[in-house]
Amino acid sequence: MASVSVTNVRKSYGHFEVLHGVDVDIQDGEFVILVGPSGCGKSTLLRMIAGLEEISGGTVSIGSKVVNNVAPKERDIAMVFQSYALYPHLTVEANMGFSLKLAKAPKEETRKRVLDAARILGLEHLLDRYPRNLSGGQRQRVAMGRAIVRNPQVFLFDEPLSNLDAKLRVQMRSEIKQLHQRLKTTTIYVTHDQIEAMTMADRIVVMRDGFVEQIGTPLDLYDRPANLFVAGFIGSPGMNLIRGKISAIGPLAFIADGGGELPLPAGAALERGAEVIYGIRPEHLAIGQGAVTADVLLIEPTGAETQVTASFGSDHLIATVRERLELAAGDTLAITPDVGKVHLFDAKTERRLVLA
Amino acid sequence: MKTTLSYKILIWTGIAVLLVWSLGPIYWTIASSVTPSADFSTRPINFFPQHFTLDHYSRLLGVNIARIGGVEVFKQFRAALINSVVTSVAATLLCVAISAFGAYAFTRLQFPGRKALFIIVVATLAIPAYAVLIPLYQIMIKLHLVDTYVGVALIYVSAFLPLSLWLLKSVFEALPIALEEAAQLDGAGRLYIFFNIVLPLAGPGLTAAAILTFLGAWGQYLVPLIFSPQATKPLTVLIPEFVTKNFIDYGLITASGSIAIIIPALVVIFLNRYLVSGLLAGSVK
Repeated sequence: MASVSVTNVRKSYGHFEVLHGVDVDIQDGEFVILVGPSGCGKSTLLRMIAGLEEISGGTVSIGSKVVNNVAPKERDIAMVFQSYALYPHLTVEANMGFSLKLAKAPKEETRKRVLDAARILGLEHLLDRYPRNLSGGQRQRVAMGRAIVRNPQVFLFDEPLSNLDAKLRVQMRSEIKQLHQRLKTTTIYVTHDQIEAMTMADRIVVMRDGFVEQIGTPLDLYDRPANLFVAGFIGSPGMNLIRGKISAIGPLAFIADGGGELPLPAGAALERGAEVIYGIRPEHLAIGQGAVTADVLLIEPTGAETQVTASFGSDHLIATVRERLELAAGDTLAITPDVGKVHLFDAKTERRLVLA
Repeated sequence: MKTTLSYKILIWTGIAVLLVWSLGPIYWTIASSVTPSADFSTRPINFFPQHFTLDHYSRLLGVNIARIGGVEVFKQFRAALINSVVTSVAATLLCVAISAFGAYAFTRLQFPGRKALFIIVVATLAIPAYAVLIPLYQIMIKLHLVDTYVGVALIYVSAFLPLSLWLLKSVFEALPIALEEAAQLDGAGRLYIFFNIVLPLAGPGLTAAAILTFLGAWGQYLVPLIFSPQATKPLTVLIPEFVTKNFIDYGLITASGSIAIIIPALVVIFLNRYLVSGLLAGSVK
């Protein structure tokens, strides 16, 4: 196991720069997820750590060693590809033992390590099969087995679950997390799915357009998004984000551009009249009492909770409630935002405003 | 689309025409090869041989020649058959091997002038053989390669390499690069990846390239006519020699033609097993 340091890393294709100086420090044994929309550079960064892409600037270190010019096979890393990349002409056992065979490990040892990995992943009965005879989930496990067998310093995962159906994805998510808890190998995992990031990561690195937007624990990002992008990206359903101003006169309040007024924490140090974006998570909107009114547009029960979409001026507000409400589209609701959970962002810089 | 009766008739008529067009001459060759020489001049022409004989094959293969008392063609025929097989097989092996390496380099390696070089190599496909025959002949004379296996095989390789290279490049391009990257991370070097990952997966493509090259080399006439006049003379050059000034030996022509069909047919049937698709199933996605 080893720590991984990415320092001011840049990547350009010709004159086109796709990573603009990325800094990430990953502790020994940590599970870090790189997340962001497609094209944000997360996979490129992972491939640079793997050694599959050249590094245009900055340094990548594994342990204390700078690996910029070290060949992939000498970095002691294992990678699980989005497409699994199983060798189709080799059996599961040969696939998993491929790296050990190349390293000329003794046959008994190879066999033992493959069996150990197969046991961990529940693949013992599939060792003689070929990849084409496996289901998607089994292929995924073989790909992971191939990585585990090597006992590398770092695991890299490149969107490993995106080819699986929803149910299997949830299952594999927890399997990967348990695997990490068991092996405690430093893991870097790329996904565009913020739920995967939230549920699995020790820390999340949110990326956009080749920049790191924020690094933090899942709940850190959820509770204190550093900017508008992170606020909108993390959480499902997403945070309600409404453009407007701080009231210029009278009691402190938020005046939405689309009409309507929302409460702010009393005594918050805010510039009167400033243009801001008001953020409140759906679960922080209580339905039933209060001065804010909105018209119900859509009720979406999921069983455990109900998601209510309502129009508020020309904006929409989404609230999730655990109670079973007798509501119908067209009803008028009274809504109370939890003022302690309000996020404000500067309308120009889109950065988080500190309210305390 | 709904298949109406007239549509079906149209399709089957088309198929029938194609079959007659492609198999008709082959049938005629085989039927003639078992027809006694005397029957060739009978009129009207019979679609089926009226008398059956293996005399032409006997003469060709040197069986019971004394009985027939024909000209000794057996040795010539055997030499030509061997020459055809040797030059075609050598050309196929060389061509597929070289084009596999070349196509992989053109697909995966970065080097200056990569695209231009590839275009130049493939563009040589457009040069007709007769345009280069005379300079080529001079070169081969100087290299003392006229009428040698090496010389003919090299000409075939240069003729069929561009097509094979083109074909294999698209085959390699279609292979998922993730497999090679995975192998790279697993500790495999370039050559190991090429021989143990890429080539096994490119099997169908290699087979197709081999079939194309073999058939192309087997059917060559103009090149061996000039470059293989004696010792390395192949079947394609020998067979027309059964036409002499005063006599056309239809029996020998059709019998040797039939044998000349069988060899490539066997090669295709044998290689066809490796032409299966779906070899990649399960590797990615």
